[in-house]
Amino acid sequence: MKRAPVRIFLGTRKGTYVVEENAGNRRRWKVGPLSHPGSDVFHVVPDPRHPGTVYANVNSGFWGPMVLRSRNWGRTWSEVATPLLPRRKDRKPDFGEGTDSPSLPLTNLWHLEPGSPKEPRTLFLGVDPHALFRSDDEGQSWSPVGGINDHPTRSQWTPGFGGPCLHTILIDPDDARRMFVGLSAAGMFRTEDGGEHWTPVNRHVATPYLPQKFPEVGQCVHHVVADAGRRDLFYRQDHGGIYVSRDGMDSWVRIKKGLPDDFGFAVASPAASPGRAYFVPLNSRTRLTMSGGFQVMEWSEERRSWRPLMGPQTFPGDFGIHREGLACDSLDPPGIYAGTTTGQLFLSPDAGKSWQQVPYQFPGIHSVTVSSPRGS
Amino acid sequence: MALVRLDAWLGEFGAPRETEAQASDVEGLLMDLESRYPRLRYRLRDEAGAVRRFVRIFVDGRDILQSEGLRTPLGAHAVVDILHSIAGG
Repeated sequence: MKRAPVRIFLGTRKGTYVVEENAGNRRRWKVGPLSHPGSDVFHVVPDPRHPGTVYANVNSGFWGPMVLRSRNWGRTWSEVATPLLPRRKDRKPDFGEGTDSPSLPLTNLWHLEPGSPKEPRTLFLGVDPHALFRSDDEGQSWSPVGGINDHPTRSQWTPGFGGPCLHTILIDPDDARRMFVGLSAAGMFRTEDGGEHWTPVNRHVATPYLPQKFPEVGQCVHHVVADAGRRDLFYRQDHGGIYVSRDGMDSWVRIKKGLPDDFGFAVASPAASPGRAYFVPLNSRTRLTMSGGFQVMEWSEERRSWRPLMGPQTFPGDFGIHREGLACDSLDPPGIYAGTTTGQLFLSPDAGKSWQQVPYQFPGIHSVTVSSPRGS
Repeated sequence: MALVRLDAWLGEFGAPRETEAQASDVEGLLMDLESRYPRLRYRLRDEAGAVRRFVRIFVDGRDILQSEGLRTPLGAHAVVDILHSIAGG
């Protein structure tokens, strides 16, 4: 049976691109025209509940942040509502602004997450400054999620280099009331009641930039993904190293052994191959790949070990990658897609056995997401 | 009536290149524009009401930052230019 084409969605420093598979084998690709020209696009995400629907978090340097939606795989876009931070008088903790300011403006839109299939019109949106919003009408209106935005530990949260952002949102596929969010630099938080109450879940994650070694909050989490096969298995790229949790984030174990450095930003895990996660370790000082070439490292939960997926000279050079820069499709074998901060798009159609570069020089890539049907 | 000349890029939010507006100061003029062209709301100003960092507004050729900001008064025949600033790269 013929399947729909794989589509790669790129959010870049200068707009949005859709790259579409040309011949059904994930080896030939067609790059579509630039959308949202000139704007920083932090995240472009297809909504798997509504094939063809795609959202883009567009952060215009001139006109501010806005959420755009496409109903035709990114060919045309229209603006939906942009969330607004609550007025100062309507909220409990201070967001860091001066006391005479009526409100702090929203700076950047980071991560948009489609809700559970059981809530087909629900979206979640993480923004800078640290806040989570929920929409139950496909982005026509947004409500702040007070349980996390007004969290008692908020005064201990600080901005990372990318600003004070909420950048990671995970929803339990079996229970939409169980969610996880990641904030820099505050750490990971979990709710079991749909967002009313949130518990910091950063046990055993180091903070080498703070006087306390293992505080409850303050971790600069960079990105976290869930394993597709085990509900309580998560992979975490933190400023303080690479970690795995096997107990629903109650605790974390650092898995540095075998890596020259476990700093980095990006992590992805393939739906068709549970028990595996991909990382792009970077030099913690330069924030660039090591050993003179791009490299994706595969973690195997079964073997509890690492292996490189590229030869040392597959893509020579020194590369950076952002937290949303690595993605997998849902096919078997999984495709792996990596977008760099200098605009290269590397991909493997066969779980890392072979690699190619899409022959197009993009602007610096913020995010890579992939839409693909299940099957082979 | 003030004559308002708008940045061509604002066309993507439904704004015309040129229009007229009745207001006594710049804030009133922006409120008038935002009400007639709703998609301009939050594009020229953020939700706190401040003019965005890289939006420039001139009244009779003078930057409102060198005048009274949003309180800059508009004469009966004022010419208001709303532009994006030189920034980016």
